[in-house]
Amino acid sequence: MKNALTVFRKEFYRVVSDKRLIFMAVFLPGLAIYVMYSFMGNAIGNEVQDIQEHTMIIYTENAPQDLIDLISADDKPSEFHLTSELSQSEIETKVLEGEIDIVLQFPTDFETLLTEFQEDDFEIPQITISYNPGERYSENSYWTVGYHLNQYRQAIVYERHGDEIYAFSQTEEHIVDEDKASGQDFAMLLPMLIIMFLFSGAMSIGPDSIAGEKERGTIATLLVTPIKRSELAIGKVLSLSVISLFSATSSFIGIILSLPKLMGAEGGELSTDIYGIGDYFAIFAVLLATVLVIVGIISCISAYAKNIKEATMLIMPVYFISIITGVSSMFSGEAASSTMIYLVPIYSSINMIISILTFEMFPIHFLVFVLSSLVYVALLIILMTKLFQSEKVMFNK
Amino acid sequence: MNTLEVRNIKKTFKLSKKQQKIEKSNLKEKIAVNDLSFTAYPGEIFGLLGPNGAGKTTCLRAISTLIKPDEGDIIVGGTSVKTDSLIVRGKIGFLTSELKLEDHFTPNYLFTYFSKLHDVDIETIQERKIKLFKRFGIDEFMEVKVGELSTGMKQKTSIAISLVHDPDFIIFDEPTNGLDVLTARSVTDYLIELKDLGKTVILSTHILSVVEKLCDRVGIIINGKMKLCDKLENIVKDNQKDDLEDTFFKLVLEEETVGAF
Repeated sequence: MKNALTVFRKEFYRVVSDKRLIFMAVFLPGLAIYVMYSFMGNAIGNEVQDIQEHTMIIYTENAPQDLIDLISADDKPSEFHLTSELSQSEIETKVLEGEIDIVLQFPTDFETLLTEFQEDDFEIPQITISYNPGERYSENSYWTVGYHLNQYRQAIVYERHGDEIYAFSQTEEHIVDEDKASGQDFAMLLPMLIIMFLFSGAMSIGPDSIAGEKERGTIATLLVTPIKRSELAIGKVLSLSVISLFSATSSFIGIILSLPKLMGAEGGELSTDIYGIGDYFAIFAVLLATVLVIVGIISCISAYAKNIKEATMLIMPVYFISIITGVSSMFSGEAASSTMIYLVPIYSSINMIISILTFEMFPIHFLVFVLSSLVYVALLIILMTKLFQSEKVMFNK
Repeated sequence: MNTLEVRNIKKTFKLSKKQQKIEKSNLKEKIAVNDLSFTAYPGEIFGLLGPNGAGKTTCLRAISTLIKPDEGDIIVGGTSVKTDSLIVRGKIGFLTSELKLEDHFTPNYLFTYFSKLHDVDIETIQERKIKLFKRFGIDEFMEVKVGELSTGMKQKTSIAISLVHDPDFIIFDEPTNGLDVLTARSVTDYLIELKDLGKTVILSTHILSVVEKLCDRVGIIINGKMKLCDKLENIVKDNQKDDLEDTFFKLVLEEETVGAF
């Protein structure tokens, strides 16, 4: 193990002594995520605020005053004009160009027509609403005006028939575990991102560390030293794992710090205060086990490839499969209940993260996950040792 | 006894379809070396000569334990590469022609790293480092990153690194390739010093003048077989030529492999 430690130190030093590499591999992922998500959060927040503060330009024809009063009382500012101020084609052009948000056209004597509802020849008055669904202010005005129009319609019905028109009324009571609800929000977003960043962290250094040795010819110098191939494999995997773990931790912190901003901007409330120290330790353990498996996979592929380019090319399909696996969590937000699932590499990691985030972790699942990950890492190290021993892979590809 | 014996080794490589295309051959296998034998003695420089693809690199890789011979054996100082490769690795210093040191590290760091892998103790590492770096003029640049060194200095660093453990057997593949005259001279002078120290040196090179200047005995490999193995003057004399170059061309032409060279 002494030699494995020497290889570990050298590989570790290679990254930490290179300011650019340490920035790119460790700090940049977290920083990039934080800046990106915060920016997205701010952009979404600004968008929501902008729409909220926008004055709706509403053109009306024969609109009842009660409806105008209802819309005017809304938090969203509005400005009313009469359609008679413009020609029909001018109105259409201005709606298209976003100068008019919505047009409400009521029949002549609309309010008189409403009173004649009991007459034999009564016809339901037809209202025409014109707006531009491709324009955000116009579309938002449609929903706001539509809400008030519905209120207005209900008021008329109530006036005509009183309470009898309603078959029942309802009240809503929210019985919810707030922490679990928040946890599910995290569980839908985090697993895919974590797997993605674990992979990209390992990918940024793995191929250079192993396939790069072959490309540079240093592998021959290394292999003629009296160290065991297994020591070389262990040293490489451990050093890459530690650096990848730094990268993953940085990404994780970036996600945790920026997600509340992102979710808050969408009107949700998300706080990482719901998790205790034990949850964070469990997540860290999952990250560690996952990173070992990912680094093992990347290392074996890099050992097989003849150069860095080929290694990167061969890693990409595995990376995409992992991302797709991560995406699956975005739909359910719930961890798998079958213990067998926790034997499947990467997919088990995703389910473990979900179960921790949703406070539904079973110790048996955790145990199966950790033990199976260790077995996979051991198998991958054996495979890597075999690859280092293979003349064909090392020198004849 | 610090002799290095190559005993009737044979090495066959399977050819991929891509390699078959490159080799313009339908054969699924290629015999890289066949029944190859020679012995290198302490205090001598043994030159391995041959056209491209003759099997020199395969032979050197087999000696260095990077590949295993299919048949035959190589005995390095009494140890078989087939059965005790780890022990053999401790005895040899191998410099491959394809070596490019990692740009990011300094000669000092790499020397210490490879010394540790060879299980050299700290005191000896410092002693060897001072001696070798001074000998090659690397001492002033030992903290400069490899990427910032000249080609010559990089090659000298590679040589120093291959000798961290003071090996008895030195196997150098094209050590003067791409070097300017001064640096090449410094390398060849050092090989003579090693020989004088009683080391067994095996040198593979394309530069015939280097062979003429350095090698006590020469083995000429053509198509994976040892065509001739003798003292330099005997090879030239027996073939009735004026110098090694003429002799070498004659032998290659005989084997109809001049195109490959």
